[in-house]
Amino acid sequence: MIVRVKCFAWAREVTGEEEIDLEVPEGATVADLRESLAERFPVFSGRMESIAVSVNQEFAGEGTPVEVGDELGLIPPISGGCA
Amino acid sequence: MICRITDSAIDMEELTDSIDSPELGGLCTFVGKVRNHSAGQGVTHLEYHAYPEMAEKKMRQVAEEIEERFGVTHLAMAHRVGTLAIGDIAVGIAAASAHRDAAFKACRYAIDRIKQILPIWKKEFGEDGVAWVEGCAVDAETAEPPKAQNFRV
Repeated sequence: MIVRVKCFAWAREVTGEEEIDLEVPEGATVADLRESLAERFPVFSGRMESIAVSVNQEFAGEGTPVEVGDELGLIPPISGGCA
Repeated sequence: MICRITDSAIDMEELTDSIDSPELGGLCTFVGKVRNHSAGQGVTHLEYHAYPEMAEKKMRQVAEEIEERFGVTHLAMAHRVGTLAIGDIAVGIAAASAHRDAAFKACRYAIDRIKQILPIWKKEFGEDGVAWVEGCAVDAETAEPPKAQNFRV
């Protein structure tokens, strides 16, 4: 299935797009989404742990399911992120 | 209550007026401004980029956390996006309560939490070129509202 993913800040510069379409397996999770992302844009694999993924405007853990129609986002480290 | 991501100038008086009420005895504000230096280098201007729908949603989450923790409901928060000059207001917060202690705590909590969980990015333009200012990666677990037993008022 194809899911649409919003890209922000550094991630937008890497993809060159505000939104990208990624092919993921049926029943995919955030972890699968990351795998597809790294295949398509290998530069992400070097810093994948710094990129948070949002699902329907909530920060999502690796096991969170992703479905067609979900609002997905790639969230690089935010400017004030350290406590 | 104002929870706003905006590309217009932030008006602190509008924020404070919006929460004013006769039962309030303490009103605390925080103004986050664009400074002309960062990590020892000169800064000429900034760009703030946001995921605006999610940022406003997370701002409302911050407001809910503040009500639960400090009982403060008179709260106004605004974060600006777009190109900002030195001295411009990037973020404005006003928090008020019957007594000052809760207002101070709410204001401090608001700015710390905004910087922790709102999907807003800062791009610095300076003598050394252009750079995204990156803090730590957002951790999905700590970005959620803290569990009740962890509250420290």
